[in-house]
Formats: sequence, structure tokens, C-alpha cells
Amino acid sequence: MIRIALLGLLGLLGCGARPLPPVADGGTLWATDCRPPPNTPEDVAACVALATDYQPRVAGSANDSWAACVSDDNLYHPISPNISSLARVAAFEQLASLLWRGGKIPSAEDFLQARVLYAQAEGLDSRLQRREDVHYPAPLALDGGAAPRCSEPQVPEQFPDRCAGPAKLLPILNDAFAKGARGEAPRLHAARIEAALLWFLYLSALSEVMSCGAKPQDCDSSWAYYAGGGPRDAPLGLGRELQALAPQTHHRAYDATLAVRCWRNLDNEGGVASDTALQAQAREQLDRALVRGLAMIVRQRVSELACADEPGRQARLAFFHTLRPLLEREARARDPGSADLLGLEPVEPARVTAALDAIFPCP
Amino acid sequence: MGALRSRTLLLVGLAAASTARAGVDGGQEPETTIRAAAEAAVPDRAASVVDRAELERRLPRSAPDALRFEPGVFVQQTAHAQGSAFIRGLTGQQTVLLFDGIRLNNSTWRQGPNQYFFTLDSKSLESIEILRGGASTRFGSDALGGAILAHPLEPPSFARGTFASLQGRGASADGELGGRAQLAVGVGRWGLIAGVGGRHLELLESAGPVRNPADGLPAAVPRFAPDGRHQLGTGFDELTADGRLVFRASERHAFTLAAYLYRQYDAPRTDLCPPATARFDECLTYEEQFRTLVYGGWAASELGAAAQTARVTLSWQQQHERRKAVRPASFVTERGDDEVDTLGLTATATIRPLALIGGTQSRLRWGADSYLDLIRSRSAIGFSDLGVSVERSRGQYLEGSSALTGGAFLEGELEAGRWTVRGGGRLGWAAASAPADPASGTAGVSGWWLPLAGHLGVGWQPVRALRLVANLDHSYRAPNLDDLTSRQQTGAGFQFENPGLRPEQATTVEVGAQLKAAGLTAELWAFRTWLSDAIGRAPRDVSQCPPFTPACAASAVRYQLVNAGSAAALSGVEASARFKPVHSLAVQGTAAWTVGDGPNLAPPPADPSIRWEAAVPLSRIPPLNGTLELGWQHPSGGGLGAALRWAGPQRRLAVSDRSDSRIPLGGTPGFAVVDLRASWRVRSVLSVAVVVENLFDAAYRYHGSSVNGAGRGVMATLELSPAWENK
Repeated sequence: MIRIALLGLLGLLGCGARPLPPVADGGTLWATDCRPPPNTPEDVAACVALATDYQPRVAGSANDSWAACVSDDNLYHPISPNISSLARVAAFEQLASLLWRGGKIPSAEDFLQARVLYAQAEGLDSRLQRREDVHYPAPLALDGGAAPRCSEPQVPEQFPDRCAGPAKLLPILNDAFAKGARGEAPRLHAARIEAALLWFLYLSALSEVMSCGAKPQDCDSSWAYYAGGGPRDAPLGLGRELQALAPQTHHRAYDATLAVRCWRNLDNEGGVASDTALQAQAREQLDRALVRGLAMIVRQRVSELACADEPGRQARLAFFHTLRPLLEREARARDPGSADLLGLEPVEPARVTAALDAIFPCP
Repeated sequence: MGALRSRTLLLVGLAAASTARAGVDGGQEPETTIRAAAEAAVPDRAASVVDRAELERRLPRSAPDALRFEPGVFVQQTAHAQGSAFIRGLTGQQTVLLFDGIRLNNSTWRQGPNQYFFTLDSKSLESIEILRGGASTRFGSDALGGAILAHPLEPPSFARGTFASLQGRGASADGELGGRAQLAVGVGRWGLIAGVGGRHLELLESAGPVRNPADGLPAAVPRFAPDGRHQLGTGFDELTADGRLVFRASERHAFTLAAYLYRQYDAPRTDLCPPATARFDECLTYEEQFRTLVYGGWAASELGAAAQTARVTLSWQQQHERRKAVRPASFVTERGDDEVDTLGLTATATIRPLALIGGTQSRLRWGADSYLDLIRSRSAIGFSDLGVSVERSRGQYLEGSSALTGGAFLEGELEAGRWTVRGGGRLGWAAASAPADPASGTAGVSGWWLPLAGHLGVGWQPVRALRLVANLDHSYRAPNLDDLTSRQQTGAGFQFENPGLRPEQATTVEVGAQLKAAGLTAELWAFRTWLSDAIGRAPRDVSQCPPFTPACAASAVRYQLVNAGSAAALSGVEASARFKPVHSLAVQGTAAWTVGDGPNLAPPPADPSIRWEAAVPLSRIPPLNGTLELGWQHPSGGGLGAALRWAGPQRRLAVSDRSDSRIPLGGTPGFAVVDLRASWRVRSVLSVAVVVENLFDAAYRYHGSSVNGAGRGVMATLELSPAWENK
């Protein structure tokens, strides 16, 4: 409450445009830059749903191309009452409170406690270590043997794009947790952790759609990795971040999680799925919304560079740099010319935000 | 690891070890004939004995491994350095293990298999006796499935001289190299036997992966080295030392002071090294698995009517384990340390036989025992890149817990002509206490129980060669500290405590026929055991996880121990036979079949279209299995033999078995494995034994195991008695 009052007072005094020193609340420091943050209302008025999209919010999916299914009431109906992925999203929420949410400047002890949460048995680390990016082909089996897995020696190094969790995200997280716990640049390393974990949640939501074909309860995990088990209007995790910045994109992403559930409901829910076309349709709808959502999160951080103090600026740049490779993959597929703008250094906020708006206009 | 290897190699280099041959037989030529499988010290019950000669011929890798040829016993291995004997479908806390009459079980022994029988050095044992079926009256009210009695080597008696032996041992499948040095001395009224041993084992080579019956793919565990044969998560180091001093004060009184130390280092748990879906370099390792047993005993005879023989022991035992689970890619190390100190006091006596009217004879035995466990337990998570460790509020158990178990028994026997009636009862006591841990949402425990157990049996010998037996046994196991307080990642999933558990009770009925005639010895037993309030794993929803325990909710499967609402039952048949057509040749075989079913501990699903059965198989019930051994012994000291171990497939899986990565998808395939044996003894100076194991290189595993059996390889021992031997 004290912190909110202090930040509110700073806002009233018009200090938002000029960075002030952090404020202390008890033993905790809070950043004061970009208060209030720049706000660009989401405008997707020109966007039109694809003919293949599942639209539960429009007449209960009566007008789209999807057959009637369990999701038509616009609610997610879990296949299993037990969704272990929810615990990992809950851990993400705890990390957010410890490390970055509300402009917190975390202490070294906060980083250590956060790492304990991250590393708990069957927790975020356990899954991140084997998370694959389904946009890239899986390694092929050699000599008729089993296909190499990202959990096997040398495979992440040979297939870094597919083995994104161990090859790309894990080094970032290890480094950021360690440096944060040593007291180095806390906002910067918290931002790197946040960005890497958002990337992980994104990959997870998509990869669970793929594994759901064989294991129906993995569709629940896909939903959990996006919305943390929360309802449409109160999601957690990645969904919470999207809802705050791009509510329409959030709704489209949530629609897509219902599409995934709808597909599985229509495709031998109790057994192994076979309708790979419908599965791909649902996954693409989800991917499109999620990548647009991540682009909007990145856009916000880049647009805040102008109002940030130096630690805040470094943190926002680190956030951008961490997530940029994820966006570049999709950007190159859509618009290689604009994608080049994302990679320019030094970062020019106006050009980056314009490029993001151009590349990812619709969820 | 390096230091330990040095220690082991030093021992090997100095000695390679020995057996207590000289001490046991006092320099006599050893007993080398194949003996009957069922000549146990407890008559009229399903039992068998593995003696020293069999140990030397079979060359088991461990004490549990020594039981593989016993009828009705099925040895499961979660790791290369672990082994748990299933007796009539039960194991772990539902069977009682004793070493020289002292209880090895303590209040942290968990549901399902455990590693603790492995912590007996088989080379320090004279014999192992297996009692199948309830054995609660004499050995502890919790002997639901049976009891295993390990008997140590005894020193020579009354100035028989000094005997020394050195034994070296090696095996190709796991690169085992080790041995034992032993000294046995008999001077005046004093007798001493002391030994020290050690060994180093590398990755265990199998014949390749066992495949899932469900999909034909390799089972998820173990994972293999690039050659596809060496199993990751195997290999360990071991040191042992023991000393036994006996002072025979008179013909009627003897005092024993003994110490047995077992030290196991760097033993990975195979199914978690790495776990089925984890990175290749994740590993849970038992850095230290120690057992220390020190005790003093007084044995006496002819003390009067109340005690023709008597024995009292006072013991201290410490079970220590230090676990380390590493995730190198994230610089994460989780540690757990558990230590149980057990103080024990036992007393047993037999009463002089009484002759009653009509030629009837009665014998009585009474005794009492009590064991107090004191627990220390802690855990921590550390980050190697920071050099920081964060202590957790609790370990696998609760620091400062304690438990008491024991009882007093009286049993007797009436023999009249061809009939023998046996019966007895035990009044037990059990208590458990553990502090609460609010930080982990753990409730405190304080409870006590008064177990009542007993047995009744009748034997009838209609003709000289045949004996028919019927037995009834009632056992009672109070929940222990593991049931009431432990939290752990088991093979099947995350398991959390239930402080509200009630005792489980078992009633066993068995009938048997024992035949002894002209070179043939055979036994056939049938049993049925009813378990009431059986403690088992019930699947739990995330919402039922204890507070502040994120690992529970994050686990794919969660279990809590609960009492079953209705009775479970185990039934089975066991057969063993030995045929000796001529003195030098023997054939013996065993077969066992067990089936177990109990109430489904998972509640019926809300969706009625989902298949749910009210009764389901009990967990890890062994499949139909058996053995066949052929042995030929030449009077000159040479011997040859062959052995077959086989098991049928086990497709009847419990709910928790289906989430247990130790069990291939769809069940465990059957197998048949042939070993060849050869041995040669030159008087008492030199002996050599060789086993060619798994002759046909079959890929196999015992049901419930993480480890596949060894592929084709050679095991050998060489035993020397040095020239300075003084007889």
C-alpha cells in the first residue's frame, strides 16, 4: 500500500516523464521510471478472423467452420482434473512477484529464492531443460534407430533451434540467476529471466498441442501454459501479461486454447488423435495469437526506452534482445524486409515498434 | 570417487577378500554337496536356506542376489546397488529382516522395495534362511509376508587354531573387482573372526534394452551408453568390515561382541539416473549408504526349567544415507541426509521339553524384543555456480522423530505320535512421534498401537516319507514413520504422508506337503493371505497436495498412502524339489506363482464412460517364475553345474505400476536365462569358482526392476589360504 501510494504521488506530480531514484518500501526497492508507462491501446479493428479459426465468442462457434464441441460454451473444460503444468505457471507468478512485477528491483536474496522456486523438482527448470520448439523439425533417426532427443548428449548443440529450451533458454536463465544472486544489475537480469520464461511458456503451449495427439491431457497443459488455469477474464502467466497489454490478442489466444480443446473433443478424446489437419488448424490459431502477443509485450518494453532511467533502459534492452530471436523467426517468414529492422543496432525504438506493428498486425 | 577407488583398489591389492571357510568348518574339507532347499530351523513351515556352499557356487553379487534360487522369492532391483526380496508378493516394510536375530527393519522402511538387505555383506554370512508367509509371533508382528534371517559366520571354537583366507572376485559384466581378507582365531575360550572387504563396480552391461510389450519400443529405463548395452546409472563402490569376538565362559555361557560395517559409495538409483524423460546427465546418487551394527550378546544353556537355552542381545544400529540429485545443466544439486539410530534389546529362551501323558511332548519358547528409532533428516538445494546451498525446512522425514516397536511372545509345540500342533501369540507395542513442520504444511504425529499377532499350525505325518502341514498366521503392522511422515519422489510418482493411517493386518492360511524319499525331496505349498486395512498408494488430485509443497502439484502423478476400504488378497502356489539319483549328482528346481488383488484405491471417475474396476492387481506382484539347477560334484574337489532362471511375463499391473518407469509399458516381458558353473577346490588351500552368466545373452529384467540383468559374462572367485595358516 505504501508503495502504491508513493508511486501514485509520483505520478500525480508529473514525475513520470523524468526518472527519479527508486523508492524503498521496507527492505524492498521499487523502480520509478516510466510511471505511468506509455500506453498504446490495442487496435485490431481491421483484423478479420480466418475462415479456419475457431470463434467461441461469436454465437458459440455457430458461424465458424468447426463442428459443435465441448468448447462452444466459451469455457475451457479440462480433460483431467490434474494439470501439473499449473504448478509451473504458479511458480512463474511467484517469480514475477519476487523479481520484476510492479517495477520491483530485486535483491540478491530475491534471486536466490526465485531460483529455488525455478529449480524445484518437476518445476520450470525440469521442463525447460527438454522443451522443444515445434516450429523446427525434430532430429531424424539415423540407421533405423530411435530419433535423437533433446535430452541426449550433443543433441541440443547439433539442433539448437529445435532444442530451444536447453540450447537457447537455459544458458540465459543460468547466467541471469547467478548474476542476479551476486547482486549484479538486478533489473537487467530479472528482465532476462522474465523474457526467457515467457519464451518458454510460449513454446510449451505449442508443444503440448503436438503431444496432445497421443496424450489427451496435454491439451490441458497447453491451456495451462497459456492461461495458468485461470478463466478468460483472469488469466495467469503468459495470459496475464497479454491481457494487460493487448486484451484483444489475449481473447484470441484464449479462443485458440479452446480450439485446441475442441479439436481433441472431436478427435477421439479418450484415445489417440488422428485428425492432424484440425490439430494443425488449432495450433496455428494459437501460434498466431501468441506470437502477436509476445510482439506486443516486446513493443511495450521498447517503447518504454524513452522514459526509462539507465538501469531500466538496460533491462528493457535485455528483454528485447532476449526475445528478439523468437520474433525474428516468424518475422522472416512473414516479411524479411521488416524483420531486418528488428536486428538493427543500436536499437531505434520508433523503427522497432513500427516494424512490430507491421509484421504482427493481427492476432 | 577417486579417493574411494583408491581405497578399494588398496584393499584389493592388499588382499582381495576371503570367506570364513576356515573359521566355519575348522579346517575340515568343505561341504560341497547340493543341499535340500528347505531345511530351515523353523519346522513345519514354508522355508528354505541358502548356505555357504551355495553362495560359493552361485557367486551372487549381493545378499539379495543370493536369494534368487529360493522358492517363492523374487528379487527386484531398483538399482545395481539395491535389491529387495519379494516373499509371496510382499517386500520392504511388510517383511522382517534379521541379522543374527537383530532386526534390520526400522521405522523409515518404505512401502515397496528398499535397498537395505543389500547392506549385508554376503561374504560375512554363513547362511540365509527364508521363512515364507506370516512369521509374526517370533520375529515381529509386521512379518506379514515372511522373514529373512541372515546368520553370520561364527569364529572357531575352543582353541582350534588360526585360519586366514584371501578371496578375490571379479566379473566381466560390471567390471567388478574386489575381495575380502579374513582372519579367524580360536585361542582358549576366545574366538574371533574378522574380515575386511571392498569392491569397485563399473557400469553393468546387459544384453540390451528390454522392450515394452505395449509398443515394442525400448523401455524408458534404464538409459544406455552409446554401445546400447552398458546401463547408465549403475556401478558403485563398497567397503565392508566386520569383527565377531566370542568368549565362551563355560560350557553353558558365551558372550559375543560383534560389529558389522557396510559402506556403499556413489551408487546411482538407476531409474533416476537419468530419469526417463530428463537430460542425460541428471542423476540421483546415493553418495553414502551405510549400515553400522554393533551388539553384545549373552547366550546360555541349562539355566533351569524356565530357560533351557537363552539369548539376550543389546544392539545399536545406524542406517545412514546421503543422497545427491544433480542437474548439471542448471547447476542444481539437491541433497538429502537421513540417519536412523536404533537401540535394540532382545531376549529369547526355550523351556525344557516336557513329557506329558500318552507320550505327548511339549516345547515352549518365549521372548521379548524392543527397538527404539531416533531419526535425523534434512535436505537442501544448492547451486554449484554460486556455491550456495539453501536448507529446506524438512527432509524426507521429520528431524527429531522417534519410533518404538517391539513385543513379547510365547509359542509352543505339542507332539503326539504323528501329529504336531504348534501355536503362539505376540503382544506387541508400537509408537511413533514426529514434530510438526508448519513451513512445509506437515502435521505432527503422535500415536501408539498394541499389535496382537499369533499363529496356529498342525503337522501330520501319515507315512514316514510324507508330512502334511496346515498353518494359520495373523500379523499386524502399525504404520511407521515413513507411512506417517515421509515425502518422496517414488518410482510411481510423488508420494506424501498420511498421519491418519491405521495399522494393516494380514491373515494367512497355508497348506503344504513335504516329501522325503530315496534321493527325492519335494515340497508343495499353497497359501492365501488376506490383508485388511492394507496400506497402499491412492492417486491424489493436485488439490489434495499438502500445502507449501509445489513438487507435489508439479508431479505428473501424486500418491498418498491410505488404508484400503476392503480386504486385499494374495494367493499362490510354491513348489520345490531336489532329486539326487547318485551321490555326486543333484537336480533341484523351484516354481512359484502369486496373484494379488485389492480394492481400487482410486475413486471412480466422474465420467462413467471411463473404465474403472473395483478390484485391481496389487503392485509389483511377481510373475510365474522358477529355477532349475543341475550340479555334479567330483570327490577330487571339482564340480560342474548349470542353472536356469525363468519368469513369465507380468501384465497384471496395479494403478501405480502404470506410472512407474521401472515397469515397461504394458508390463514386464518374460525371460529365461542360463548360467554355467564350475568350481574346483584343492584341499583347503585354493579354491576357484567360475560362473558364465546369461549364456545366451538374453535381454531381461526381473519385474519391477530398473536394472536389466547382466548380459553374457564371466564371474570368478579365487580363494587362497596362505601357507602360514596354523592348524
